[in-house]
Amino acid sequence: MTTTIIWTIAIITILGVVLAVVLYLVAKKFKVEEDPRIDEVEKVMPGANCGGCGFAGCRAFAQSCVEAMNLDSNYCPVGGNDVMKKVAAVLGLEVKEKAPMVAVVRCNGTCANRPKTNEYDGYQSCKVKAALYSGDTGCFYGCLGCGDCVAACQFGAISMDPETGLPVVDEEKCTACGACVKACPRRVIELRNKGPKGRRVFVSCVNMEKGAVARKSCKVACIGCGKCEKACPFGAIKVEHNLAYIDFEKCRLCRKCVVECPTGAIHDVNFPTPPVKPAPKPAAPAQTVTPAPKPAETAAPAAEKPVAPVKETEHKVEPEKKSEE
Amino acid sequence: MKTFSIGGVHPDDKKISAGSNIEVLPIPKTVYISMAQHLGGPAKAIVAPGDKVKTGQVIGEPTGFISAYVHSSVTGTVKSVGLRKDLAGIQVVHVEIETEPDEWAEGIDTSDTLVTDIPQDRQFIIDRIKNNGVVGLGGATFPTHVKLCPPPDKKAECLILNGAECEPYLTSDYRIMLEKTRQIVIGAALMKKVLGVQKTVIGIEENKPEAIKAMTAAVAELQKISQDYNGIEVQTLKKKYPQGGEKQLIDAVMHRQVKSMGLPIDVGAVVQNVATSLAVYDAVQKNMPLISNTLTVTGDCLPADRQKNYLFRIGYPLSYIAEYNGGVPAEAAKAVSGGPMMGKAIANLDAATLKGSSSILYMTQEQTARKPESNCIRCGKCAEACPMGLEPFLLNKLARNGMMEDLEANAVQDCIECGCCLYSCPANIPLLDVIRVAKGEVIRAMRARTAPKK
Repeated sequence: MTTTIIWTIAIITILGVVLAVVLYLVAKKFKVEEDPRIDEVEKVMPGANCGGCGFAGCRAFAQSCVEAMNLDSNYCPVGGNDVMKKVAAVLGLEVKEKAPMVAVVRCNGTCANRPKTNEYDGYQSCKVKAALYSGDTGCFYGCLGCGDCVAACQFGAISMDPETGLPVVDEEKCTACGACVKACPRRVIELRNKGPKGRRVFVSCVNMEKGAVARKSCKVACIGCGKCEKACPFGAIKVEHNLAYIDFEKCRLCRKCVVECPTGAIHDVNFPTPPVKPAPKPAAPAQTVTPAPKPAETAAPAAEKPVAPVKETEHKVEPEKKSEE
Repeated sequence: MKTFSIGGVHPDDKKISAGSNIEVLPIPKTVYISMAQHLGGPAKAIVAPGDKVKTGQVIGEPTGFISAYVHSSVTGTVKSVGLRKDLAGIQVVHVEIETEPDEWAEGIDTSDTLVTDIPQDRQFIIDRIKNNGVVGLGGATFPTHVKLCPPPDKKAECLILNGAECEPYLTSDYRIMLEKTRQIVIGAALMKKVLGVQKTVIGIEENKPEAIKAMTAAVAELQKISQDYNGIEVQTLKKKYPQGGEKQLIDAVMHRQVKSMGLPIDVGAVVQNVATSLAVYDAVQKNMPLISNTLTVTGDCLPADRQKNYLFRIGYPLSYIAEYNGGVPAEAAKAVSGGPMMGKAIANLDAATLKGSSSILYMTQEQTARKPESNCIRCGKCAEACPMGLEPFLLNKLARNGMMEDLEANAVQDCIECGCCLYSCPANIPLLDVIRVAKGEVIRAMRARTAPKK
């Protein structure tokens, strides 16, 4: 009885040792030479595996960085400049600093601004809804409100505001990986420069319909009037297909366009004070249409509130700055 | 009794409006004629605001091989040519015409006399069909003249006339089979002549015995008059949805299967709807363009005396027809254009009727509300119901994970969007919604792949 046990243990042990030696030799012989720097780079990556960089995951990104001659075409949107600096340090390469980006929802078609024309009770998916018909409002271009972007976000940075029916981006959590941009069938969401102190100006509308039609379906639609284009001293605004677009590379955040917009479609976010109409120079725009800019002043700040709840607090914190300007 | 071999479901047929004779709708003050009434390139409007048009005059010209003429359905003055929303709320070019009493364009025979002589010139028939803008009225509105001219290397053997009307509620095809019986048979003989086939089968489901009787009698009567009607027969089909699907009907009648991404002509079949056959008769024998069609107004929440079949002309707003019928019933939560299985919800009731409009179907909240979705229990009911032999539960999983190659390998592109899977799913999974989007993406990817080679 005991001999059987001893024999069994002995045979298994010998077998184990022999196989271990074989495995060791095979591993030596067929070893895949991998650049050790890939591991090092991977260590400094955020490890989100979100695919925002365009690669399958963090390791694939690390491998591509190691193989690349420079880091110009590789950028980790989640880690941002800090991570890229670390990657550059590991590889001994230079890295150009990129401005941090943030996802921006370019639609302000809240339930009040954009009345519903029918009731959608089908499958709650923007992709499905967009494939079926023009949507439950008069606007063929704006947010469909089923929350495909919320589902696509791995970082919990987007949530639907039940009051407005629009998605809200949490700037703190948003890593600008671009998953929501891809998920939106209407291309409402765009990655834009976060801006200094998070301050940025953008057109919160993607409606390419002619002015009258766009206005009819949504009170705060861009009507493509081109006033902002004329008002912009830096040539950052272009009106194409009845829709204004602000180039964030050129925009200097002067907010002249915000005041000028007759429908309040241009939003300014995270500014301490509401935009003020330049008092000494109103003569120039006033000669064209006098009554139009007046409602704009009231419309613009009112419209921007639901989109950027972060900003509301800042408004309240620094009310005295108003007088300075 | 014959039917197709794979899958299918048996929804309650609810042909409530079957007993109501076709009524002619009066002409409204304004009509809006869409330029996108057919599959393929939308027609190009050739009239301008201020123009006077006559009934039956061409107002839109085809813009490609797969496209069709559009004719004015009324006499009057063109008010505008511009974008207007269709029933899905999508902007399409419409010609707005303010109507006047009818004055028909030259060469159109508006009399009721039946013309039974079949023209022997094949090209003459095709030209008449093409010039009168005839498109398939079974749902897809594919230009008929294109379908009747198969490529020279393929030979048609059998013409199948689709009188299945397998969608619940719809009765417009049934009514024309009763009221325009002989015209439909003559239309079939005309298409038979064009295709040069010996055999023509008119397939009708068993739940329409009067139509089967009337059609059989009309065929026998016409066969006595001329040899041109020989080879036409009526076949009774077992009731099963989606019998009216082109590939299903070919399977039921000829026992042949069209292979993946293939066309019916590959197995020697050409399928046309009975309403198309009637339009062909009008176009060839009367030189009457396709400007009118039959439409059913029905629904469980509609009183019995308002269940109607109307003869409308293209461009009548749906809201006008609903209003004429006595208004939208209060219990209606949704209006559908087409049948309950494949029809499209009407998002915009002001949309104009098209050549292919077949119904206004009112559904109650109870009928239309989605039940909460639960997990797939792999019961296989969807796979059993799918008439194309697909596995909807698998396609749903693949689509939700964006696995395009696997979707293609599992033939998502063969889905005919009949809705049998969704209908049979005990877990209320929106199978069709998900699969339809995936199908579109896969077909686009397949086209993109083959396009540069050409």
